[in-house]
Amino acid sequence: MMKFAPYFAYAKKCFLGRSAYRFDHLMNIMSTCLQIFIFWGIYRALYGGNTEVDGITLPMVATNFVLSMGLGAVFSVNDYFFPDKIHDGSIATELLRPISVPGRMIAENAGNALFNLIFRFAPALILVVLTIGISAPAGLGMFTVFLLSAMLGYGVLWVISFTVQMAAFWFVNVWSITTIKNVFVNVLSGSMIPLWFMPEWMVGVLRFTPFSSIYFTPVQIYLGQLTWQEAGLKCAVQAVWILLIYLAGDFLWKKGQKKLVVQGG
Amino acid sequence: MVDFFNVRKFTLDGLSLHIPAGERVGLLGGPGCGKTTLLKLACGLLVPEDGSVQVLGMAPSDWRKDSQPVISAYFTGLPLLDRNDTVRQGFELVRCIYHIPKKKFWEEYRVLSKRLDFTAFEHEAVKELSLGQRVRAELSAVLAVRPRLLLLDEPNAGLDENGKAALCEILSERGRRGLTVVTASSDMVGIAKLCTRFALLKDGKAAFYGSGERLRSQFVPVDEMTIVFGGELPDFGDLPVVRYKIEGNRLTLFYNSNHVTAAEILKRVLTQTEVLEVKVQKPTLESMV
Repeated sequence: MMKFAPYFAYAKKCFLGRSAYRFDHLMNIMSTCLQIFIFWGIYRALYGGNTEVDGITLPMVATNFVLSMGLGAVFSVNDYFFPDKIHDGSIATELLRPISVPGRMIAENAGNALFNLIFRFAPALILVVLTIGISAPAGLGMFTVFLLSAMLGYGVLWVISFTVQMAAFWFVNVWSITTIKNVFVNVLSGSMIPLWFMPEWMVGVLRFTPFSSIYFTPVQIYLGQLTWQEAGLKCAVQAVWILLIYLAGDFLWKKGQKKLVVQGG
Repeated sequence: MVDFFNVRKFTLDGLSLHIPAGERVGLLGGPGCGKTTLLKLACGLLVPEDGSVQVLGMAPSDWRKDSQPVISAYFTGLPLLDRNDTVRQGFELVRCIYHIPKKKFWEEYRVLSKRLDFTAFEHEAVKELSLGQRVRAELSAVLAVRPRLLLLDEPNAGLDENGKAALCEILSERGRRGLTVVTASSDMVGIAKLCTRFALLKDGKAAFYGSGERLRSQFVPVDEMTIVFGGELPDFGDLPVVRYKIEGNRLTLFYNSNHVTAAEILKRVLTQTEVLEVKVQKPTLESMV
């Protein structure tokens, strides 16, 4: 247990650090709600009084973006954790310490995510459920699988960010790379436009990318669109993505460290 | 404690240096001579292109996995405490990272914060501190983990006289209890008081490595003797004096202490004239660099 003390301290620090900015998190709740309401308005207009399009009902669409945007608000990953440390040189301080730097990043992100879950997701969800209303989960069992899948989805998002951040070892400015990554994540994960409405060929391509594993898999499980077997399989796919991307990121992380000790900060 | 064997890295070229445990070594040399590179090699932030660097027989980076902090390093400009934390929060994090028991750590903190005088701003965020305040806190952070090897890069930068004196005192005390210190500083006065050995880096090698006394005699062996005499101006023509100065009855001799001793000069002068006052001055290390 001793081994986890520093990571617990990092998570706690992030959690408490966030609560210091009350106005900031009030605005965050507002922006999450506003985002959801805007999309609700857009989709209601698009449906134009129809109860369903291609077999997808409006409540299903609403559930999709409420959950994926809600999860998006919880799934906080600091895209500049490594770039900042590399640029101000404090990566050296981290490397001198007997802790894992990616471990610190996970801990800080987890502290943040927990804060977001309690103070950002929960209030927004209550407000949205009261006003728009979302579909109920497909049974308690499926809801449990949904929670597991949501955590795995966070894992996928985290490893993508971790891997992309390693670019900072080789490029001075990683803003553009990070932005491209975020566009991919936002559009291709189905949080803005549900993957149901994407053209057939695109869905085919997306099946071979990790993006649909982030939000869409948990939402599908929540809505009960998948059988138990399919749900299990999709969770396994999520886990495989986490492993593969993490290995790639870890490879770059080791390369980056090597670059530091050979060429100097 | 630290062994450099034929190390090649950046400006360092074939550097060999053996630093025994308990020594306090001051690194000397002009800017860009490789002082910081040497320190970074010693903590594993750099690896040598050729040759080897070992700390207690292991690669420096291997000591990081050890739960007991062996190497602690301070580099000017390298942030050690998170900007947004208060000083105390920063120290709590350091404590957690090194798994140091609370009681032991905070006792150490209390002593250090008093001696380096930063209790007054321990609840302020690190980003609000002045340079001098931050240096005091960060130096304490590397000391508080009680390492066996302490690497300091320009520790005096940003410290006022009180701070320098306090740091010097703490390091000397710890040194007597077995702490090994390697420090690079362009502040010669500060470094001179604190170190037991000096290494002068030149052309990528240690041009000199030894005590301050030896450094003095090897590089600036010129001592200065002022004699106020009562009678005749003494004749010292055959003594190997480098140069001399006469102001009234005050005679100042500059001589190489390797060639002639103060006693020899004085003996010669006393046979010729009455001496009222004598003052011998060794050159300070500061005046040499």
